[in-house]
Amino acid sequence: MNDDNFPSAKILLVEDEESLAKGLEYNLSEEGYRVDIAKDGKQAIEMFDKNNYDVVVLDIMLPYKNGFEVAEHIRDKNPQMPILMLTARTSVDDRVKGLEIGADDYITKPFHLKELLLRIEGMLRRKSWYVKSVSTNPFYHFGKNEINFENLRCKHGKHEFHLTHFEAILMKYLIENKGRIISRKELLENVWNLNPEVETRTVDIFISRLRKYFEDDPSNPVYIKSVRSSGYIFEPGKKD
Amino acid sequence: MIRRRHSFVSNLAIFILAQLFWLALVGLWIYWYVSNYLIFEKVGEKVSPQINVQAPEVFPFVGGLILLVGLSFIMVLIFRHLNVQIRLTSLYDNFIANITHELKSPLSSIQLYLETLKTREVPPDKQLEFFEQMLRDTNRLQNLINSILEISALESKKQRENFTIKSAKDFLPKIIKTSADNFRLTDDVISISVEGDSNILIDEHSFKMLFDNLIDNSIKYNTGNLKIRVKITCKENKVEIEFKDNGIGIEPKEQKNIFKKFYRIYDSDIPNVKGTGLGLYWIKGIIKNHNGKISVYSEGKGKGTTFKIILPSYKSKK
Repeated sequence: MNDDNFPSAKILLVEDEESLAKGLEYNLSEEGYRVDIAKDGKQAIEMFDKNNYDVVVLDIMLPYKNGFEVAEHIRDKNPQMPILMLTARTSVDDRVKGLEIGADDYITKPFHLKELLLRIEGMLRRKSWYVKSVSTNPFYHFGKNEINFENLRCKHGKHEFHLTHFEAILMKYLIENKGRIISRKELLENVWNLNPEVETRTVDIFISRLRKYFEDDPSNPVYIKSVRSSGYIFEPGKKD
Repeated sequence: MIRRRHSFVSNLAIFILAQLFWLALVGLWIYWYVSNYLIFEKVGEKVSPQINVQAPEVFPFVGGLILLVGLSFIMVLIFRHLNVQIRLTSLYDNFIANITHELKSPLSSIQLYLETLKTREVPPDKQLEFFEQMLRDTNRLQNLINSILEISALESKKQRENFTIKSAKDFLPKIIKTSADNFRLTDDVISISVEGDSNILIDEHSFKMLFDNLIDNSIKYNTGNLKIRVKITCKENKVEIEFKDNGIGIEPKEQKNIFKKFYRIYDSDIPNVKGTGLGLYWIKGIIKNHNGKISVYSEGKGKGTTFKIILPSYKSKK
């Protein structure tokens, strides 16, 4: 997983549309990825449990178990697994739901091949950056919070919880840029890999989730503060 | 699903509250009437003891009651109508979601293949495979668009059906075979038997679509080795078509729903999520236009499904 050589990455492609699955398999293989195809939610879960994958490309409307259920299963087993959701649904609710369950990115059908390949590459790069940057010291403390970036376990006082993969990446980015105002655009570019479909609202949703985890009073944040019309700033305080 | 259940519960609550309101109103009406009558009687006695106050007049009393009962009856009607509308709206929302999925899937597949062919050096045999895949997708899109257009034609009764007299024995197996060939089903998958013969008045195009739909359903809702058995029995004044498959079956509680417009069964055991909820509604419409009947039978989940179609025989008037 530490390997920088993305093309050797193994992808689990979950898609019930045969023609789309075949076309994607061809393209991903041409890029040098190894691809396994699952035709429904049940099969996806079985394959995920048996094998090791680097990225999961996941359709939402699937027989037996839908994409949301599969994503939840994957998150339970492996909070760091990058998941790219692929779907015909376009409603903002669906997108938000997907991202909240723990998908890292979202692409709607019909999509451009180039964009899909870029997204997958972006996810792999992000994962590798993340793995590298936490490998030296996976722990981070601020206030009464403690984050373990390796297994994504956190503590807020006595309260223990898990971050999702994406929340962890966002938190990591905030920490690495602490004390500096970070715009929503910058977060979109660097954390979401400039995803025009993810609106700034999504950034806000993720930030408010982080506040719920780490702030005593999320409506009056001390660490992750909003800067009017600019973005956010992370200030871990004196204890850091 | 959850939203639908939620709206039903809130509707029911509104309905019950409204009924309670009406009942209270009726109670109030009776109370008001009786107490007023008592006051009137007392005042009457005081002011002029000679005037003999008549027993309360029955007419305004009963009239008021009838009016209230009538109003609550109308409310029941409005409530029922509203409920049907709400159900239909929520089914329609599902339909839009399904049709979006059904339209976008082949479209994205075609786009993917075209972009692949544009950006990569694809070997000729692979190219051929891609072209065939794209043609299958355009076919799927065409069928979908046709079915939507024909549904609206069927509903507005604009569909000009071309009824012709056919021999059931010759016509039905032939048309079923054509549909089966469309889906590349071999003879060991689908078997057709005919008993007797009679003439039927039939629109060939509609019936082809009908069997396309039935076979498509059988394929979609099957998890093992598909087997379809079609039994055609011609009796003196009717023709019975029994279309039986070994698919996942339909639970008894769902059987009455499957012919409803936009209705789709949501169940995590279903091996396929494609569909618009129009197929069986449409089939029912076609059969109705042929003055026939269609019914479904399934012993339950996993036990296959049987559709039974009854068409009247055509007898020339001499």
